[in-house]
Amino acid sequence: MNMFLEFFSFELKFRAKSISTYVYFLAWLAFGFFCTGSESFGPVGFNNGKVLLNGPYALAYNQLAAGLFGVIIISAIFGTSILRDFQRDTYQMLFTKPISKFAYLGGRWAASFVVCVLVFTGVSVGMWLGTYAPWTDHVRIAPNHLWWYVQPFLSLTVVQIFFLGSLFFAVAALSRKLVVVYLQGVAVFMVYIIGITVYGATRSLEHFWSGIMDPVGFVLFDNITRYWTVAEKNKLLVPWGFTGYSPGVFLYNRILWAAIGLVSLGVVWRLFPMSVEALTARSQGKRAAKARLADAEDARSIRNLVAAALPRVRQVFGSGTTFAQYLALTRMRVRMITREIPFWGIIALLIVFAINNGQFAGDVGDQNVWPVTYLMLQAVEGSATLFFYIVATLYAGELVWRERDNHFDGIHDALPMHATTDWLSKLSSIAVIELVLLTVTGLVGMMMQTMAGYYHYEVLQYAKELYLITFPQVMGFALLAMFVQTVVSNKFVGHGIVIAIFVMVPILFNFGWENSLYLPGAYPAYTYSDMNGYGYFVAPVFWGMTYWIAIFAFLGVVSIAFTQRGSEESRAARFRQAVARAPRLAPAGLACLLVALGAGSWFYYNAHVLNDYRTAEDNRRINAGYERDFKKYELLPQPKTTAVDATINIYPDRRSFDGTGRFTLQNKSDVPITQVHLTDAQQTVSNVAFDRPFHLVSRAPRDLYSIYALDQPLAAGDTMTLTFRVSWTTRGFRDGNELAQYSPNGTFFDVGVFPTIGYDRNLEIGDPRRRREEHLGPLVELPPRTDSVYAKRNLFTPTSDWITYHTVVSTSGDQIAIAPGYLQRQWKQNGRQYFEYSMGTQHILNFYAYLSGKYAVRKEVYKDATGVDPVNLEVYYDPQHAYDVDDMLASARAGLDYYQARYSPYQFTQFRIMEFPRYRTFAQSFANTVPFSEGIGFITRLKKPTDVDLTWFVTAHELGHQWWGHQLIGGEVEGSNMMSETLAQYSAYMVMKHKYGKDYMHRVLKHFLDQYLRGRTGEVRHEPPLSQVQNEAYVWYQKGGQIMYTLADYIGEDKVDLALHNFLMAYRYANANNQVDAADSTHGARSRDTRYPDTRLLVEALDAQTPPDLQYLIDDGFNRVVLYDDKALAATSTQLPNGKWQVTLDVQTRKVQVDSAGTESPMPLDDYIEVGVFTGKSDEEKPLYMEKQKFTQERSTITIVVDQKPTRAGIDPYNKLIDRISDDNMIDVTSK
Amino acid sequence: MALTITNLSKTYPNGVRALKNVSLTVGSGMFGLLGPNGAGKSSLMRTVATLQEPDAGAIQLDGIDVLKQKDDVRRVLGYLPQEFGVYPKMSAIDMLTHLAILKGITGAGERKTMVEALLQQTNLWDVRKKALSTYSGGMKQRFGIAQALLANPRLIIVDEPTAGLDPAERNRFLNLLSSIGRDVTVILSTHIVDDVLELCPRMAIIAQGEMLLEGSPSECLATLQGQIWSHVLSSDDELKAIEAELKVVSSHLVAGQHEIRVFAPTKPGPAYESVPTELEDVYFLTVARHSVN
Repeated sequence: MNMFLEFFSFELKFRAKSISTYVYFLAWLAFGFFCTGSESFGPVGFNNGKVLLNGPYALAYNQLAAGLFGVIIISAIFGTSILRDFQRDTYQMLFTKPISKFAYLGGRWAASFVVCVLVFTGVSVGMWLGTYAPWTDHVRIAPNHLWWYVQPFLSLTVVQIFFLGSLFFAVAALSRKLVVVYLQGVAVFMVYIIGITVYGATRSLEHFWSGIMDPVGFVLFDNITRYWTVAEKNKLLVPWGFTGYSPGVFLYNRILWAAIGLVSLGVVWRLFPMSVEALTARSQGKRAAKARLADAEDARSIRNLVAAALPRVRQVFGSGTTFAQYLALTRMRVRMITREIPFWGIIALLIVFAINNGQFAGDVGDQNVWPVTYLMLQAVEGSATLFFYIVATLYAGELVWRERDNHFDGIHDALPMHATTDWLSKLSSIAVIELVLLTVTGLVGMMMQTMAGYYHYEVLQYAKELYLITFPQVMGFALLAMFVQTVVSNKFVGHGIVIAIFVMVPILFNFGWENSLYLPGAYPAYTYSDMNGYGYFVAPVFWGMTYWIAIFAFLGVVSIAFTQRGSEESRAARFRQAVARAPRLAPAGLACLLVALGAGSWFYYNAHVLNDYRTAEDNRRINAGYERDFKKYELLPQPKTTAVDATINIYPDRRSFDGTGRFTLQNKSDVPITQVHLTDAQQTVSNVAFDRPFHLVSRAPRDLYSIYALDQPLAAGDTMTLTFRVSWTTRGFRDGNELAQYSPNGTFFDVGVFPTIGYDRNLEIGDPRRRREEHLGPLVELPPRTDSVYAKRNLFTPTSDWITYHTVVSTSGDQIAIAPGYLQRQWKQNGRQYFEYSMGTQHILNFYAYLSGKYAVRKEVYKDATGVDPVNLEVYYDPQHAYDVDDMLASARAGLDYYQARYSPYQFTQFRIMEFPRYRTFAQSFANTVPFSEGIGFITRLKKPTDVDLTWFVTAHELGHQWWGHQLIGGEVEGSNMMSETLAQYSAYMVMKHKYGKDYMHRVLKHFLDQYLRGRTGEVRHEPPLSQVQNEAYVWYQKGGQIMYTLADYIGEDKVDLALHNFLMAYRYANANNQVDAADSTHGARSRDTRYPDTRLLVEALDAQTPPDLQYLIDDGFNRVVLYDDKALAATSTQLPNGKWQVTLDVQTRKVQVDSAGTESPMPLDDYIEVGVFTGKSDEEKPLYMEKQKFTQERSTITIVVDQKPTRAGIDPYNKLIDRISDDNMIDVTSK
Repeated sequence: MALTITNLSKTYPNGVRALKNVSLTVGSGMFGLLGPNGAGKSSLMRTVATLQEPDAGAIQLDGIDVLKQKDDVRRVLGYLPQEFGVYPKMSAIDMLTHLAILKGITGAGERKTMVEALLQQTNLWDVRKKALSTYSGGMKQRFGIAQALLANPRLIIVDEPTAGLDPAERNRFLNLLSSIGRDVTVILSTHIVDDVLELCPRMAIIAQGEMLLEGSPSECLATLQGQIWSHVLSSDDELKAIEAELKVVSSHLVAGQHEIRVFAPTKPGPAYESVPTELEDVYFLTVARHSVN
């Protein structure tokens, strides 16, 4: 025991003296500090504005993140403790002494464990200190609870140190190889990252085994906390017991991995030999080889003692030799790198990485797509970029230090060559290595495309991306790393600085330092699009990159000057040396600076002079000012737009447009209007004029809000016209935030470029954190449905009810321009294409868009069963993206069939889909016109029958909006959003169900249920019931869809559709028949506005079709937030004498209601829930019995007789009800 | 061929005065630089080998200002540092070929001939394809010699080259060196007196950064001729007594008994025998005298 203490305390003392211990601790301290001290830093900060930065969830998550990166530190501490004796050859001295195995191994291990735990407390201490940072968001800092720090530390970090430390210790003790010890931590780290990428890509909803098997804990933690709401995240600790949504998983995980730790210790205890002989015999092969060689050499007789004269050689010095020297050095350096194991490890890892990620290139979100080159590059290169940087950093350090590390500098430095030659060869070696890596990446990408059955190889795109974009960036970084390594004179400190610079860039960006000119190596983000290639990103990326590379190259020149040559290390000596070298290097340095200055100036001129440079925060400040100054005018009576006539000229090449517009405005209020207020959010409006005398009262900066006074008020019911000019001219390029509306192919801008009458609440900031920053107070939400003023305003366009629409749009000669309406005329003039579209006297929502692109067009005519009112279906697509055009048309046909038969006739005679570049990824429904991003829907590919057909789904959804959103519109009150989104979602589900069947929908819905449950965990305000939804997309899409789908399942699809039909026919086109249009045709009486429908009427309509005993479904689904907890407890079966099987099923069912604060309270049960008995194995069950039964109490036992031998049974087996633990609803049947 | 060192001084940042006003002229042939560890030999060698700057002084090599025209010096220089390492996984032949290119031997045929000749000369031919990192100390040292002799250097600086060589290897190396050293300048630093004696027509003794003695070994020996006396002692006490009285140059153990050598103008006593002067005596005396001063 004494000896144990001796080893233990020796190791502790050694660690206490070693600087690395303090570096690790301080690194963790800093990490912890910023996690709580800044919401822009930690893994939790961004997540959700209401999760406490020092709450139990955040503290545990930070521990977890530290645990992942800590793998490397754990390996460094544990591995080196045992390796030290073998590295320094002290083992010969040690093991010839009488020491016990327990003392040696135990002492070393225990001390490493203690040191490691102490080092990792840095995270906790840092987090605690961070809560006192004055600048952090103190709304998100709760009073510190000691246990919130201690419990996650013990549960996550300490267990991990034990298990990984023991494992690394065992591997180090048994292998006794330096390279193994250095690489094992990195290897575990990389393999884990690969593992979770692979797991993530499978999109599995399995929450049990995946959690248990996870050694580091990200999947485990996600499984446990997946459905934790904000309130739970701020209250719950990781559960050691059998509670929560993943009962027992955490406990099992800890037991499993702690056991592996113990096994490792047992193995090392058994196998570690305590004798020099055994240790030497197994010692490094290199040493043995050396000994053998020396022995052979000694045994050999010396052949001649007489020295012969050496041959004479010619030495030539000149530029040719300089070049030969450069080549020889480069070749040798590359050879040295490629002869080392780490290089091949990197290549192997890169290939594994790329193969793995490449396999999922065709997985975007929940769907399969064609692995087009930009997706493949994103998959194989995107995640490997870090790799390239690490390689550049490491090899820069190696090459700068290699001669000195190998003590070859004495010979090397006295060789007759220029410092520049030597330096350039180092840089070139890194370049060669990086080119190899990039080429491998590209080749794997193409291989993975081939394997995925995609044969459209875009070699040029690979080359551009890899060699023209990534390569220069990485080399810029290599230059920086070489500079740092040269001036810092300690390799590891150098690595630390380079990594710090690398890490700081994105962090500074989050802090609002968005200017590419001062973020080292930064350049504006770009997006490749098949429609445009690199398009308008080329200039900003080129100049930004040139600027930084020139700066880095200048640092490179400086580093040549400071390159150490000879034995002098003092700063003064190296400075003298640099001064001596300066004259020769000055021209190159000056050239770099001139290029940097030139590129930087040009960048500055474009981003800051030609364009208004604004950070995200600047934009928020403008929006906050808008709300503060003008919110008061929101309800000011304003005339409503009733007709729009516009002439628009699009210049795609210049990314610009201009045009004129004419609005007909009618005073539909009952007071005379004296002022007209205009919002011009995009600075596109000018030359505003009214058809009567007026004058400008005020104009906010950037023309954001202008107030015009009418010299002669607009009387109630009267109309007038507003004319204006609209235009946008793209000048030069911007530092990011390039306007995606304007692109050379696929222009797409909407009504936002036109003046908006009155105040626009869409400009308000929603995120509570940002509102706090701007001192805005809580967001004013949509008013209750009982409000009489807002209920008369159109949800989408509060200062317009319906309009008639006419437009002439022109574009360049090779493009087609599209706007809502029927094509009246098309002509060519001055090399430009002109199109005239009109909706005639038909009303549409005051919501329209202009598109222009080089399109291929597919047209067909749809006729319904009656054959009257045919509909022209048209798809405008990029010729490369013909994959899904048929699917889109088929979905449109199916949707028209279903919606016309069940809701109402389609109000238009055309339905058009057009593709726009993937700078934005959504589809949007304008009247008879649906722009659809190239990023979704155009490259969908159905590989397996279970794949989600997103194209089909989105097309049906957007078509659904032609009813829900273009016929039926709610008022500007709570809940109205669901009447467009939920109903469009439901419509799409139904069309999908008819095509793919119920089983398929069951699978799809499971994913949507998961999205809803996760969506509510991110809620920053409060989760409203469906019928009072504000702006919560997870409620109106995923929850709404599920509620409607389940309702249709319970009461019948026909009943639901009938209710929707009745509701639609009663309330569609609200306020359409009380206005004067442009043509001065009066629709109905010139009467005042009436109410728009709200969700109370929808609920009423559904109620009317629902039998009384199921009406609770509607109340629960629409008016409350209700969660079920159904669980199958046990199932047994016995065979009856008649050969049938009797199943006895024990189930639990609970139901809770969640209030707006997130508090859950139990609800009494009186519910119908499905009970099912199945045959076949898990996940491939076939139903033998499926009935809805009534449940009134928490525990029930059900007896069911089925014909075949049952294997599975359960309650709500298809997850039709919202249940956070969806996989415990079924259980295996045990037969007696 | 002449190397002229004038008033060279160097003080390291830690305050150690490595060179104090050293002046020296070295002509063609072998020049031995003798001195104890830490005498400033390596500092002097490194300075001549362009790896270090003096604080003051000048070095001329046949009209080349060594301190300014470093590249010109490097072209004619062959340098073997006192300690050097090798790259891992690099064979001797590859490394020598590589270094030959860097030394400006552009002709591939010449390069090959030279590299092969050197490998033969240094007796590394059979292991030329083995990785340098597996070489024993002596083999590595021979490789170091080979690389220093590439490109027929006119100035060869070898710092402690025989350290770590076994006697056979040492002989071989000295033979090689002397065969080359006839028409070029070779500076050989060592603390082994025999190396100098066997090879060098001229030599110098350096200690604590100062040049103490310069001349040919025979000149040096002549200064002490007839003044070295030997005596076998019976006990340590006797040694103490003599040390207090006489200038003891060295003491060796011969079959368990101390044999001392004493410097004295006249025979110090009856038990003393006159012995021929050895270079070692010169060395020890010069160094010892200096440290007393």
